[in-house]
Amino acid sequence: MAELGLVLIAGAKFGAIYALAALGLVVVHKATKTVNFAHGAFAMLGAFASFLVVVHWQWPYWMAYVLIPPLIGIVAALIEFLILRPLRRADMFTVVIATVFLGIALSEAFRLTYNTELLAVPGMFVGMPFIFGGVFVTQETLWVIVGALVISSACVVLFRYGRLGRGMRAMASNVRGAQLCGYSVDRVYMFAWFLGGAMAGLAGVFVAPVSGVSVELSIALISAGFVAGVIGGFDSLKGAILGGLLLGITESLAAAYISSAFKNCISFLLLFIVLMWRPEGLFPEKVARRV
Amino acid sequence: MRRGSYLRAALAIGVVAGLASTAAPVRAQEPGVSDTEITIGAIGALTGPLAFIGTPGRDGMTLALNEINQKGGVCGRKLKLNYEHASTPAESLAAVKKLVEQDKVFALVLASGSTGAAAAADYVRQVGVPTYNLYGSTPIIREPFSKNVFHGAIVPVEVAAPGLISMFYDEGHKPQKIGVLAGTYAFPQATLKAVEDHLKAQKVDYALEKFDQSARDFTSQLVSFGRQKVDSVLILGSFSEAGFAIKQARELGMTNIRWVLDGSAVSRAIVPIIGNADGIRGYFNNPAFPGQNDTVKEFEARLKTFLGSMPQGRPNNYDMIAYGSTYVVAEAIQGTGCQLTRDKFLASWSSLKDAGPTKMGGLDVSFPESFTETDHQGNYRLGATVVKNGEWQVYRVIERP
Repeated sequence: MAELGLVLIAGAKFGAIYALAALGLVVVHKATKTVNFAHGAFAMLGAFASFLVVVHWQWPYWMAYVLIPPLIGIVAALIEFLILRPLRRADMFTVVIATVFLGIALSEAFRLTYNTELLAVPGMFVGMPFIFGGVFVTQETLWVIVGALVISSACVVLFRYGRLGRGMRAMASNVRGAQLCGYSVDRVYMFAWFLGGAMAGLAGVFVAPVSGVSVELSIALISAGFVAGVIGGFDSLKGAILGGLLLGITESLAAAYISSAFKNCISFLLLFIVLMWRPEGLFPEKVARRV
Repeated sequence: MRRGSYLRAALAIGVVAGLASTAAPVRAQEPGVSDTEITIGAIGALTGPLAFIGTPGRDGMTLALNEINQKGGVCGRKLKLNYEHASTPAESLAAVKKLVEQDKVFALVLASGSTGAAAAADYVRQVGVPTYNLYGSTPIIREPFSKNVFHGAIVPVEVAAPGLISMFYDEGHKPQKIGVLAGTYAFPQATLKAVEDHLKAQKVDYALEKFDQSARDFTSQLVSFGRQKVDSVLILGSFSEAGFAIKQARELGMTNIRWVLDGSAVSRAIVPIIGNADGIRGYFNNPAFPGQNDTVKEFEARLKTFLGSMPQGRPNNYDMIAYGSTYVVAEAIQGTGCQLTRDKFLASWSSLKDAGPTKMGGLDVSFPESFTETDHQGNYRLGATVVKNGEWQVYRVIERP
């Protein structure tokens, strides 16, 4: 039983990070109908910034959580302004390709400026672990699970009840209608990218002590975030969180009780099953229509 | 035939013979050798998961070549390095072919680890280019023996495996069951076979778990070890994989484990990942760890000056091997008596005894290397290392079993 507990906690830890990564992807997609394949690179930049703050400059750890998400959000908003806004009238394929190569460019820029296999970042908490019925839970693990999920939930609330959140939902539903209601496309799109970038930056700060900072982090997070988003339902913020958790726990259980070699393929197997059985995802947003 | 025709034929033969005689010295010039330079080609990964091998390979070689060239070079010629990035087997083979066929290098250095060395093995044997395998432990580059392929500081897996296992028994430790955590890619797999053979021969109880390259979650493997009451773990993989595996083991409550790491994981960069890494062991392919004595401290200072700033985890094993090995190549070139032909070079290399940097004014950061006509493995020694107060230290030299 303790063994199962350990596996579930480990799965939840990675799942919480996947949820955060998926959430940023879904926010941008929900507002702008763009799948941002540069999202993993934003998260990698967040993790790298975390290394600079915590290790290089040795500032207090909390500053990484406070400074980095808005910083990466601003980078994402600037990229939207400089690169994606001119492509707004281009077809979807062009925009997707632009984000793919934007992600590659950001990763390569990092590789060229800091050519090392891995940068290690210590955890925020290093105290004694909690023991629940033989299950060890470190303070860092608890912080990652609880912190990531609380922040994700706060983002869902902001999106649902905040003015700009309403604007993004309105834009996603009907661009022309939203404009007629007074929402600015430019401002809403830029805010969506800011929020998506901030979520990616936050995912980077959470993942840095768990996985270290490397170029490979970009691919690892975009693939996990994408799969989690699709499993949950790509237009559902709640689904992104649940999809991330489900993915992390499923990977962990499969590796522990089937084979460690099965860990990587289980996420794609899960993706195929969900796409075949429920293409709209496991937790899609309910759509109410007045008739 | 008329007399005029005889004359013309004789004249033509004379002209051809004359041209041939003037061209002869040009033809005799070996590939990669000019009046001012000797070109050495090298391959290694500068980006990607294996960059922790290839990048120090390039930097260590360049530092040594700069030092040699500042002292006038070898045989009145500067040594020039053509370093090609290569990560995958296909890239490695393409890079080697480019260096040999287009750049026409005098000697080739494989600074690529087992993946690149295995990919290039057949080709370098076939074309006969003098080749130095810096980091590849794979038997594919070592067997069958070839007169043009030499191996330096990295010992064969049959030597490394008993050395690794011996560290479980240091200071009276008696492992009940050893867990082997091995990467599924080339170099951990090369060592794994030798480790398993050795464990079976010694009738040691062990459990095996595997992980993919760049893995970060080892929960399932560690839970399996816990289930099997493993009290000692050998990790065959990179420092990042080993670091996160040990960190997670502690998070899972596995605190009384003796950890022994493959040489590729013995790096300063593992300490920040784990936090308190004291007691972790592994082998190092050089006689002293960076910071351990004045010679390696001086090496570190020179490398830092050369790079501008020292990246995290550097200098590592690969910086030091590349530096020392470049001096071995230079010594082999000098040993030709400046008759720079491939045959003379191979003969000179095959007769080197205790070759190392100090003979040419460098720093002895690597084990001295000796070769014979029939044994092209330059070094058989390993440094057994342990982390004390957050720093790796070589605590004994493991001799050839």
